[in-house]
Amino acid sequence: MSTLLWSLAGALALAWSLGPALAHAQAPVKIGASLSLTGTYAKPGTYQKEGYEVCADELNAKGGLLGRKVEFVMYDDQSSTQTAQRLYEKLITEDKVDAVMGPYSSGITESVAGISEKYKKVLVSPLAATTSIFRQGRKYIFMVISPAEVYLEGFVDMAAKRGLKTIAVVNEDTLFPKASTQGTVEQAKKRGLQVVLQESYPKGNTDFSALLVKIKAANPDIIAAATYFDDAVAITRQMRELNVNPKMFAVTVGGDIPEFYTLLKTNGEYVYGSTQWDEALPYPGQKEFLSAYTKKFKHEPSYHAAAGYAGCLIYAEAVKRAKSLDADLVRAELLKLKMRTAFGDYAVDQDGFQIAHKMVMIQWQDGKRIVVWPDDLANGKPRFPTPPWNQR
Amino acid sequence: MRRLFLPLLVVALVILALYPIKGTGYGVRFMLQLFMWIALAQSWNLISGLTGYVSFGHIAFFGMGAYTAGILIAKLGWPWLLASLAGGLGAVVLALVIGFPCLRLKGPYFAIAMLGLNEVLRVAVSYFERLTGGGSGLSLPALYASVPIYYAMGLTAVAVTALAYVIVTSRFGLRLMTIREDEVAAEAMGIDTFRYKLYAFLLSAVAPGIVGGLAARDQSYIEPISVFPLIMTITMIVMVLFGGKGTIWGPVLGAVLLFTLQEMIWARFIYLHQLLFGAIIVTVVLLMPRGILGVLQQKYNLPRTI
Amino acid sequence: MLGQVVISGLLAGALYSMVALGLGLIFGVMRVLNVSHGPLLMLGAYTTFWLFQWFGLNPYLYLAVSMPLLFVVGMALQRLFVRRVVDAPELSTLLLTFGISIALVNLAQLAFTADLRSVEFLTGSFVLGPFAFSKSRVVACAFAVVITAGAFLFLKVTRLGKAMRAVSQSREVAQVCGIDVGRIHMLAFGIGSALAAAGGTLVAVMVAIQPEMGQVYTFKSFLVIVLGGAGNYPGALLGGLLLGLIEQISSLFLTTQVNEAVAYVLLVLVLLVRPTGLLKGRAS
Repeated sequence: MSTLLWSLAGALALAWSLGPALAHAQAPVKIGASLSLTGTYAKPGTYQKEGYEVCADELNAKGGLLGRKVEFVMYDDQSSTQTAQRLYEKLITEDKVDAVMGPYSSGITESVAGISEKYKKVLVSPLAATTSIFRQGRKYIFMVISPAEVYLEGFVDMAAKRGLKTIAVVNEDTLFPKASTQGTVEQAKKRGLQVVLQESYPKGNTDFSALLVKIKAANPDIIAAATYFDDAVAITRQMRELNVNPKMFAVTVGGDIPEFYTLLKTNGEYVYGSTQWDEALPYPGQKEFLSAYTKKFKHEPSYHAAAGYAGCLIYAEAVKRAKSLDADLVRAELLKLKMRTAFGDYAVDQDGFQIAHKMVMIQWQDGKRIVVWPDDLANGKPRFPTPPWNQR
Repeated sequence: MRRLFLPLLVVALVILALYPIKGTGYGVRFMLQLFMWIALAQSWNLISGLTGYVSFGHIAFFGMGAYTAGILIAKLGWPWLLASLAGGLGAVVLALVIGFPCLRLKGPYFAIAMLGLNEVLRVAVSYFERLTGGGSGLSLPALYASVPIYYAMGLTAVAVTALAYVIVTSRFGLRLMTIREDEVAAEAMGIDTFRYKLYAFLLSAVAPGIVGGLAARDQSYIEPISVFPLIMTITMIVMVLFGGKGTIWGPVLGAVLLFTLQEMIWARFIYLHQLLFGAIIVTVVLLMPRGILGVLQQKYNLPRTI
Repeated sequence: MLGQVVISGLLAGALYSMVALGLGLIFGVMRVLNVSHGPLLMLGAYTTFWLFQWFGLNPYLYLAVSMPLLFVVGMALQRLFVRRVVDAPELSTLLLTFGISIALVNLAQLAFTADLRSVEFLTGSFVLGPFAFSKSRVVACAFAVVITAGAFLFLKVTRLGKAMRAVSQSREVAQVCGIDVGRIHMLAFGIGSALAAAGGTLVAVMVAIQPEMGQVYTFKSFLVIVLGGAGNYPGALLGGLLLGLIEQISSLFLTTQVNEAVAYVLLVLVLLVRPTGLLKGRAS
């Protein structure tokens, strides 16, 4: 304990003496964020952080922001809302960052949105998909990805176009999957599909057999599951074990991550996943983003990284147009901005709610993700219907 | 030394009362969360430190307070102070309802039953979605009240510590400690152990309920997993153990040291802090099960009221 | 539907019984509630995973590796840490084993990362009329039954087993009879850990493997032994099967969401009527 204190004291003394020297150099633009680097959201949180870093590198290579270097100050919120709140207060009031960017997950974003509002700092939230966050009259928060409610819009569309009639919807009982389910059920009803079963399961549930037995008895044409990752894998596997054979089966988060297929192997075939982004999509800057990312992190980016990257670029663009870091000026630009990045389109309504970005549906075919919806972005046709397990 | 204690205490309280004037937003938030932990640890001490009944699901009262207050604020527009007090009341009612069946159980059965209670509440909250928002959580209308909440939390922490002092120096407290040492003998001496345990249990639920409500207001957003986590119960327990179970200032000391330590370690050892926490627990249990104050109490023959 | 669910429940229950027996043994002999039971299961699962990765072969063969390995690990944990709190109030043992549990989980996270793993070996199901049973669950149940039977045989017939039961009943008398209580304690913890490891191996083929996978088994095991009577070995069997059934049936008639709560509510109800569990367990 005392060593820690002594080293802290020493570091402070050093900083103190160097202070005057540093003050002469141009102060960098500090962007603060707390990310889930440990805890439940560790994986996507880390990807998001990597996206921020690639963006910072790109901005700095092109001369920085307003002629100043861009520097991210990032902390680990351990996937906890209480910690995240403390950290955003710290970033704004002690580290005195010039701007903040969003954390991972809707829940944590909701809990820190009040803080950025209080201090009037712009908060671009690349990974909050829940509509309710953006409908509370907040002025400084901006959405980048498509909302949860439309995650399975493409799935319902494809089913309706093929004349399918019944759907079962299951979801994890947390913020995002619930919102997703609500949207899916609404769309299904609008397109004339009958919801024969709708049930939620607790977070962390691993045994879906009773649920699947109920589904099998209800015999729906298609099954939609609003999931994260572990549950998506477990449900797919248990569907095989219990011989549940819908004509189409889709999951939300998890279906588009490479590990999904690595874990399930051929059992993952024919599964539809919805994703905010796929590297095969024809957006500008894709190749540059991919090569920069894979060079720095030695693995493929997920959509979390792409969203983080895009969110940071969008913020930078607004700052450039406002020619200032002042929150109100940047905010005005963000409201007007229409931009297409490697991640897709950006445009928001007066609440900061995303209205331009499009979700795509992928399907696993021969171990590869093929974009099957919407038609203008697709690079393959869906394999329909999904054959029963014993005929594969 | 003893004569200096009271004036020092008063000075400390005055400093804490004046802190928000100079403190940053982060500092104020840090302190109010620290007060919350002091209140939680001290409350746990009231039941488990004094009677020896390990309440393994004590965080249930915090969650109960959070949701009671949250619902009153969000759906009925109550002012937050009143809602938090109602949260405390809700927690006491809960304690009454589960105290009756559970306090008759002994040892591991009591611990597991309390643990189960916590889970049942979490599921109940998810089930009654219309009221509680279920898994989506409950959003409170925006309000920036960190400073008033700082004072509210602080007052609660002071109140609970004062309560602990009153209990430890009273006959009631003595009877509780008798139950801890040998319940059978206590019964034989004519103490209605069930009634005393129940009183202690009820008293230990008030503060968590109140700070639960205050925390809900401060965070403006609560969801089941964040207000009923087992790790918070464990942290409470470790704080008390670290500082000294059954003492008055032990929980305060434990809370201050652990919370500050954790805040400093997290920033530096992102991937190791959980491991370190586990190591701290093991060390405390093996090497200093009486806690810092417990050890000092024995060594220097300090009074019971430390 | 009910038939399918009942059989699923019994299949799962057999597994719970075996794992809970491990916990029950540790409690019965030492009065220690081992919160790190789940992480021990997790280590058994990872052992199986890595062996399968490197050598292939039938993962069930690795029971012969995971069980002895965790047996040794369990004995080491007992000798180094748990031994010191055997006589302490249950708070100390709960916290100590909790600390060990956090340490094990985080070590696993550092060593293996939190990436999900699985052992893809036995997929698909046996179809018997209108019922479909996951192959891996049936095999797991079969092994669980055999191993549990073996454990009971050990306790009943062998000298060491009898010594263990003696220590469970009364440590002082056992000591007077010349039994080396310290050694029995170590063995009990070792066997308990081995049973958890067996659970891990069996489960590795069924679910995704990740460092936190054990927690839910810890809770379930606690539930089982308290339900059946802490320290009562046949009670663990009864409790396990009961839990398996309750879970499946409540998922069917209510929703999956509430089945955890149902189990606990039932537990409290049982404890109200029989404060030491269904089959009269030990208080402390």
